[in-house]
Amino acid sequence: MKFLDEYRDGALARGLVDRIRATATRSWTLMEVCGGQTHTIVRQGIDEVLEGVVEMIHGPGCPVCVTPLEQIDKALLLAQRPDVIFTSFGDMLRVPGSTCDLLQVRARGGTVRIVYSPLDALELARRHPDREVVFFAVGFETTAPANAMAVWRARELGIGNFSVLVSHVTVPPAITAVLEAPDARVQGFLAAGHVCTVMGWEEYEPIAERYRVPIVVTGFEPVDILEGILMAVKQLEAGRYDVENQYIRAVQRQGTVPARNLVERVFTLVDRTWRGLGVIPASGLGLREEFAEFDAERRFGLGSMHVSEPEACQAGAVLSGRIKPPACAAFGTACTPDHPLGAPMVSSEGACAAYYQYGRLWVGSRPAGPSRLDVRDQSLSAVQGEGEGSP
Amino acid sequence: MCLGIPGRVVDLRDDQGLLMGTIDFGGVQRDVCFEYLAGDIKAGDYAIVHVGFAISRIDEQEARRTYEALREMSQLDELEWLREVAEAGIGLGTTGDDGTKASAP
Amino acid sequence: MTVASDLRSVLTCALPHPEGERVQLGHGSGGRLSAALFRDRFLPHFRNPELERLGDGAVLHLSNGYGSGTEVVFSTDTFVVSPLEFPGGNIGSLAVHGTVNDLAMMGGTPQYLSAGFVLEEGLPFDLLDRIITSMGEAAREAGVVLVTGDTKVVERGKADGLYVNTTGIGVVSPEFRPAPDRAREGDAVLVSGPIGRHGMAIMAAREDLGLRTTIESDSASLFPLVTRLREALGDDVRVLRDATRGGVASALNEIAAASGVGISLGATIPVPPAVHAACEMLGLDPLYVANEGVLVALVPSGRAEEARDALRGHPLGREAAIIGRAVRDHPGMVVMRTGLGGSRIVDLLPGDQLPRIC
Repeated sequence: MKFLDEYRDGALARGLVDRIRATATRSWTLMEVCGGQTHTIVRQGIDEVLEGVVEMIHGPGCPVCVTPLEQIDKALLLAQRPDVIFTSFGDMLRVPGSTCDLLQVRARGGTVRIVYSPLDALELARRHPDREVVFFAVGFETTAPANAMAVWRARELGIGNFSVLVSHVTVPPAITAVLEAPDARVQGFLAAGHVCTVMGWEEYEPIAERYRVPIVVTGFEPVDILEGILMAVKQLEAGRYDVENQYIRAVQRQGTVPARNLVERVFTLVDRTWRGLGVIPASGLGLREEFAEFDAERRFGLGSMHVSEPEACQAGAVLSGRIKPPACAAFGTACTPDHPLGAPMVSSEGACAAYYQYGRLWVGSRPAGPSRLDVRDQSLSAVQGEGEGSP
Repeated sequence: MCLGIPGRVVDLRDDQGLLMGTIDFGGVQRDVCFEYLAGDIKAGDYAIVHVGFAISRIDEQEARRTYEALREMSQLDELEWLREVAEAGIGLGTTGDDGTKASAP
Repeated sequence: MTVASDLRSVLTCALPHPEGERVQLGHGSGGRLSAALFRDRFLPHFRNPELERLGDGAVLHLSNGYGSGTEVVFSTDTFVVSPLEFPGGNIGSLAVHGTVNDLAMMGGTPQYLSAGFVLEEGLPFDLLDRIITSMGEAAREAGVVLVTGDTKVVERGKADGLYVNTTGIGVVSPEFRPAPDRAREGDAVLVSGPIGRHGMAIMAAREDLGLRTTIESDSASLFPLVTRLREALGDDVRVLRDATRGGVASALNEIAAASGVGISLGATIPVPPAVHAACEMLGLDPLYVANEGVLVALVPSGRAEEARDALRGHPLGREAAIIGRAVRDHPGMVVMRTGLGGSRIVDLLPGDQLPRIC
């Protein structure tokens, strides 16, 4: 695939690794914001090959992971209603709520459908006028234009049996929250490339300035991430703290203006709870009053619910970068993708899932957490892994 | 948020006032909404698509230019690299290099 | 054991809560849930050495009680794919290929099949005719004879149109006995062709994802490929596995677990460009996508190229490749070396992959 595959070129990637190692005179700590970037880093072993030079802290850029338990429970409530066709992106279906997940609701007879695009959900509503179609609108700013368009079109075309359960969050307040935390260690950021494709990077300039941290808008393929890291390290070595753009092929400073405009027309900034991080003011998007009829929470009269997180789940510490997943006592034991305690273990973007699935035969220079082999299926004979394989 | 992939615009059309079209991802095609790129997109262009929406047009020239620069950088000989480092005003890392090419293995 | 090429289970998969009290789609996907279901709920009631080998089929000795007998391979598979027809085949051809392949993977010569049908009231005859015609052609081509069968009809709303089970039997000889537990440290791992076609063809045939593509299922009898391997390497063909549900990743994980070896993969596994593109669109990993005409083989490392060339001599194996080797490290685990020199585990998924946005 053009504009994708060439950014997976191994030789180019290795050259960038060399450059990073040659440029750094000391070790640096960076945070990549987006879960998709986290997955590339862990899957490709980028953190492994940069050990000692760059430490990547995995940020809260997994919209699925930061969706509060309360919202999941609301989704489950709606999905159980016989008059509702509940639609969602695939990512949300395995995220555990307080009692079960959407797939189990489906197993018990709820109508839960995976869609590729919110417009598909709208089309479902058009085709099933006798049912209420609810779309679970989860995401960062990247997905907001799509959801905004779906709501806008619903009104334009008079599709009355369509509504959205909104759980949108925005990135800059999260970055600020990370920087404001008392034990903040992050010295530079890789900003989320596709969020910036929509929003541009203007809003990151004041953050870079105020906290004196370089912010590099970065793509998602290995070459993109390594180039972004190199650009950040160069800035840090030179004592600079600018916003730079690595993802030039897709991002411009002003973003995609028509998309920003419609998002602003349909949504407004609201305070949002980030799972594990608490309430961050003005960090979410909610439907404007004018579009209230399309807000599923209003349409179905869902008040606020108070739900408590499983105690053992340290999603918040993981999402804010304070710990790496294997440092959580439940990682790989009480919490695995088969029986997750929290979203980061289930979501394809989650740091915990990335560590578990792509595995750490290596974490730092020592094995951390239980050996992957110890927690596997009991039908395997027990083997003691040293944590350092030689594949 | 992240799964935006590049594809080639095959055709564009109006669908009840919305700009829609077909995009080709390396042999797999899908209908996609191009409304956000209206006026700035035509068949043959490349765009980034996320959940059925084209969210930006790929600047092919820029992409080519920066990619070539990347390739060259990874093949630069030692002298050129040293010069670039000096110009950028950053310190030399202790690489343990023995003077051979600082490029990809 | 069932082959769940059912689209619904390709798209969706459930994870159990520890208190989960019901069967979920994920139990049919060939991943960890399926393994647990079988091990915890079925196996305890049917304990016997053959079943516990967890092979694609069973190798049996049929004796007449008077000292003479013969060895056969016996296997069964149930097909619930939806849609019933897809580019490259339909549930009928799939049902033949699936069981023929299971027999072939155990070293057997597929000879006879039975077929049990559950038809949904209201299934159009022209659709049924196409499926059965296809089945007949597939059987003839594979050299197997359908010798017995059964048909039931259930009410409208059940059976997704049609479900079919095929059971197969064929002779097997002691000189050719690939088995999942025979891999040894150092063995080369081969794949017979490009991966991901069947699963993505099914996914694309699903209207509501809106994908348009020319990807076709690779559904085919693998017996000719196995024959070539047998002729070239004989009993040095240690392990054969068709990479059906759960893809190459699941097949290799099962082999690693059964044999107590680790498997180390290099980076180049052949993937057709359109499969690659469709997987990128949906956020899926081709390693886990179902195939119906691809096998993995483990042979002694010294004979790897011979095996590859034997496969390449047949149209189905034109793109056969050596993709890794069995190692002593990380027994039971499959690890892939990344282009950067890092490593990642290729683990069994709990169930199927879900298309994702992120």
